[in-house]
Amino acid sequence: MTKGAIDPIKLEVIRNALIAGAEEMNLSIWRTARSTVVRETLDYSTALFDGQGRAVAQSTRIPIHLNSMSVCLDEIAARHIPLDDWREGDIILTNDPYCGGQHLPDFVTFQPVFVDGKRVAIAASIVHHVDIGGGAPGSYFAGAREVYQEGLRLPPMKLAEGGRINDAVIRIIRQNSREPEKIGGDVQAQIACLAVGKAAIERLAKRYSGDVIADAMEAILDQSEVAMRAAIADVPDGDYVFEDFVDDDGQEAVGLKVHATVRISGDSCVVDLSGSADQAPGPVNCTLNMAKSAVYCALLCVAEGKAMANSGAYRAIEVICRPGSIANCSAPAPVANRMATGHRIVTTVLGALADALPGKIPAAYYGVSYVAALSAPDPVVEGERRVYFEIEVGGWGGHPTGDGASGFSAGFHNLANSPIEMCETLFPVTFTHYAYVPDSGGAGQFRGGLGLSREWRLESDWGVLSGSFERFRHAPYGLAGGEAGSKGRFLHFRGDDCVALPSKISGVALRKGDRVRLETSGGGGWGSPSRRDRAAIDEDVVAGYVSEKAAGDLYGG
Amino acid sequence: MGETKPVRVAVDIGGTFTDLELHDGRTGRAYAYKTPSTPGDPSEGLINGLRGAAEKFGFTLSDIGLILHGSTIATNAVLERKLPKGALVTTQGFRDVLEIGRHIRKNVYSLKAEPRSLLIPRRHRYEVAERVRSDGSVEVALDEAGLRAIAGRLRGDGVEAVAVMFLHGYRNPVNESRAAELLAELLPGVSIATSYESSPEIREYERVSTTVLNALLKPVISGYLERVSGRLEAAGVDCPLYLVQSNGGVASPKEAAQMPAKLLLSGPAGGAMAMAGLARAHGMGNLVGFDMGGTSSDVSVVIDGSVGETAESNIDGLPVRLPMIEIRTIGAGGGSIARLEGGALRVGPESAGAVPGPVCYSRGGKIPAVTDANAVLGRIDPDAFLGGGMQLDVNGANAVLSDTIAAPLGLSLEAAAEGILDVATMHMAAAIRLSLFEKGADPSDFALAPFGGAAGLHACAVADELAMDRIIFPANASTLSARGILFADLRHDLSVSELVVLNEDAVGRLGEIVAQLRAEAREMLTRDGMPASRQRIEISCDLRYRGQAFEIATPWVELGGDAVPTPHAISALIRRFHEVHETRFAHSAAEDAIELVTVRAVATGLLDKPSSEVGGTAMPERPQWSRQVFIDGGWREVPVYDRAGLLADGGGAVIEGPALVAEDYTVLLIAPGWRLKARSGGDLVCERGER
Repeated sequence: MTKGAIDPIKLEVIRNALIAGAEEMNLSIWRTARSTVVRETLDYSTALFDGQGRAVAQSTRIPIHLNSMSVCLDEIAARHIPLDDWREGDIILTNDPYCGGQHLPDFVTFQPVFVDGKRVAIAASIVHHVDIGGGAPGSYFAGAREVYQEGLRLPPMKLAEGGRINDAVIRIIRQNSREPEKIGGDVQAQIACLAVGKAAIERLAKRYSGDVIADAMEAILDQSEVAMRAAIADVPDGDYVFEDFVDDDGQEAVGLKVHATVRISGDSCVVDLSGSADQAPGPVNCTLNMAKSAVYCALLCVAEGKAMANSGAYRAIEVICRPGSIANCSAPAPVANRMATGHRIVTTVLGALADALPGKIPAAYYGVSYVAALSAPDPVVEGERRVYFEIEVGGWGGHPTGDGASGFSAGFHNLANSPIEMCETLFPVTFTHYAYVPDSGGAGQFRGGLGLSREWRLESDWGVLSGSFERFRHAPYGLAGGEAGSKGRFLHFRGDDCVALPSKISGVALRKGDRVRLETSGGGGWGSPSRRDRAAIDEDVVAGYVSEKAAGDLYGG
Repeated sequence: MGETKPVRVAVDIGGTFTDLELHDGRTGRAYAYKTPSTPGDPSEGLINGLRGAAEKFGFTLSDIGLILHGSTIATNAVLERKLPKGALVTTQGFRDVLEIGRHIRKNVYSLKAEPRSLLIPRRHRYEVAERVRSDGSVEVALDEAGLRAIAGRLRGDGVEAVAVMFLHGYRNPVNESRAAELLAELLPGVSIATSYESSPEIREYERVSTTVLNALLKPVISGYLERVSGRLEAAGVDCPLYLVQSNGGVASPKEAAQMPAKLLLSGPAGGAMAMAGLARAHGMGNLVGFDMGGTSSDVSVVIDGSVGETAESNIDGLPVRLPMIEIRTIGAGGGSIARLEGGALRVGPESAGAVPGPVCYSRGGKIPAVTDANAVLGRIDPDAFLGGGMQLDVNGANAVLSDTIAAPLGLSLEAAAEGILDVATMHMAAAIRLSLFEKGADPSDFALAPFGGAAGLHACAVADELAMDRIIFPANASTLSARGILFADLRHDLSVSELVVLNEDAVGRLGEIVAQLRAEAREMLTRDGMPASRQRIEISCDLRYRGQAFEIATPWVELGGDAVPTPHAISALIRRFHEVHETRFAHSAAEDAIELVTVRAVATGLLDKPSSEVGGTAMPERPQWSRQVFIDGGWREVPVYDRAGLLADGGGAVIEGPALVAEDYTVLLIAPGWRLKARSGGDLVCERGER
């Protein structure tokens, strides 16, 4: 059978089998992993690639991860271990941001799958590991100036050869982690899931020859490319320019520009991020891999789920960026908190397309993973300490057809909150509220979604607080005449005093009775507030999403 | 609880049909009966069914000693939002918990957020000063004056149902119960539900969601039960009535009216319960129940003889935190539509539904569905569909499938139809594989039990895909859910949520909790009229390793009968948790501390079990005949057997596939390579031969 001539029925059966295979791999990791990062925050992803190393089917998880694995594989195959050297039973591993990775806690593994001696597929997984050494627990060292301070680097290597695991590598990993048991268990889970992916391909091979499976994968990539190109072709040709800002690197750089020129010609798109700021001394830098993942995420959103997220869709997109910039940093720049810039690349690319796609692009979402950590005495077990992680989200931008969603995961990540009752039971904190922030959604014909406010009081004698936030200086933008969303705030109350903390902190000492409040940013508004439907304004006031005063000031009530 | 009258009736009210399964104690036989549902007032269909069955099978309505009633009334009220006007009263600072939810999304790549369900808008969510801490101590007593003011506003708003959820109300209900008491006094006639009664478990969002559902459903279910009892009385039926809950047990009308959220996912529970009985009857531990209907398929799993349960599910995206039978629903059914997308063939999850339905229904459907593909391939007899109740338009299906699928793809009509079925099979097999995979089980260790209108045509293909060697087509498959209900017991689920480090030091506190649960359980069963000899109480604990944020339900079998927690029993529970963790997650951590989050009691009131012999469906005798069926790439003359006929010859018949077996409301396709044997009980067992 010639290429592209595959029977559409076989194609659809194989396509579904591949998606199911990626989901089974996903379930396998969840089932066998040890750490809370994997089991509860679900910080991992899985995929099946074709024999040539192109991502075909991915599990439904985290955009950051999913669209980075193919770039990683390209890099490994081109510069480190050529695909022809990948043999039956081999497992390839890396975590090195400068060899195709993102940041050191993320391990990427690949295993080739052979049918009748031919490499038909590659099973892949990426897992965020709980700790890989470096200057701070969790390997998020805010003070890092070089990647060497962020933990153990594993260049692309064969973790297994011919089915035999290289135990020395596992021992090195465990020896370098603050949580050797957990990382050991999670690495095992990551290895086990590759066998599940391999089994899924082998099941298919009982029904179809390796050539048919290969043809089907090619056709799946082609379908996805067609869908992505159709979405791009809807954008009029031209250069679209936009910029947005990262607050700071937590050290000395402030107002780090992220600049995108999106060049549309026909059904292709070039995204040039070269106008972005120079790489920062602190760890907010993105490797080109990370920047590409962010751009792909933005454009897959533009295709609104019609293009399956895989290498076929990526064919229509070229990403360029000046080396040494914040979106294509050069070694040894630190990268642990790359998400600060990653989210901003997503909002910048979407912002650039706003005028070109009227009726489609929303104003900016909150655009950051609000991560806070409290280290404090364990209220359940005396003499031990516990680390409480809080991950929060904010408002979606107003959309040309409706208000933005309030307090809901958006864009580049997808995270659940922690139940308050569980937090109060496990950590020495008492919450005073968890609520929408009135007036935080940018005013507009279609209002931005509201940010969230979450405040707790410390019940133990001491606590140490750290946090990694954004949008404290640069608010989520509005579009088409809509106002910006609110900025985020991190407030520390002691008695009658209130101190506004900066967006990236570590080592802030707390005392019993201190209160800490995180307010996340709302989304930007879309369209002039003067065009907002009167009934919608009144409803917002009745519900308390918008105060009476703000309704008067912003909407001319 | 012995029944003094001979006839027991199980009723399952579905969207299209009201199914009855009857057991006559005088003959020891069971019968099935079907009548159209009456969606306006489902109790009307119930009475019609009772009258029709009485006439057909020769008993009088006064012979009925017990009615067990399954329905989707609560489910439909929520899905269609036919709910009273509700409000929420909650702890100061937390009224948005209900709307914020867990804030994770399903559609990963989108520019507009997916819609989220919300039953009580913010203007009807009120906050009152009060606070209970995680250890159960009261930090702030209920602000009664504040609550009185809120009650005034609720009255002014015309609210009909109020949910009360305070933080840590599961741990100490004092503030919640006082608030409920006051509201009941101030708002006569308004239904009130508290979180400590609705779902006494830690995690505020899941609890408040369940409480709100409970509050809003109370008036709906009370109203329905009043209508049912009125109609039964008028018809001369004088016997106890019980309702089927999502947990597979039944509850008294009083209990159901208090806790209607427990009925929410009871629809598929009857079928799942029947699966456990089927596994028992065939001496098998492992079975997958596969109920394929018009719009979706429900998968239930029996492992080692027990139906899989879960502590939480959801309806329309709204969490329901209550113990219930675990069902995985797949968007693949007979009505799933096929279409081309960028040259690719997609099947489902969109469904043609009952209206317009598949093209061959001639109700205006213009998009080919899975049922059309079956019709095109000759697998459904167009003259005998739904017992001859509907004439199928095969030519119409041919034409539409030809135009919209076959021609654009350059395929023959038959290849296109087979393709649609192949894709649907892949969806269903993938979902079943995932259901088993997440429990650490292998599909090839299971038998498949298909039921529901569309399952019989797809069972062999699904089993082939999953490498399952055995299929059991249960008797009376089209009323199987009712059959499962016929064997139900009374059931209450009780729980105490309290974080306890599980070691021998916990023996005192656990003793208190278990004693409290048992006392409450006995009281409830006694209130149901259950003598002590028919009461059974099982204790289990939700446990996790310290640091984990999810729990595993671990049975505490050492606490059988009246046995109390002892250091020895705690060690045994700890050992069992390690084992269960190892099975489900492939590792355990013997050295890690274990936290107990919730202690549960399942209180069962044992009802008499009728014998399971099936007396048939009073199906008219049909001769054996044959049809042209497209199978394995060509049209073949395939024999068609009458299922009733297979049983009539003493159950010794053996049929080699390909063959069709016709029943009143469905048809079974025995694929090439499969061999069917009839069993005297009425079930048909199909095994894979040598291929």
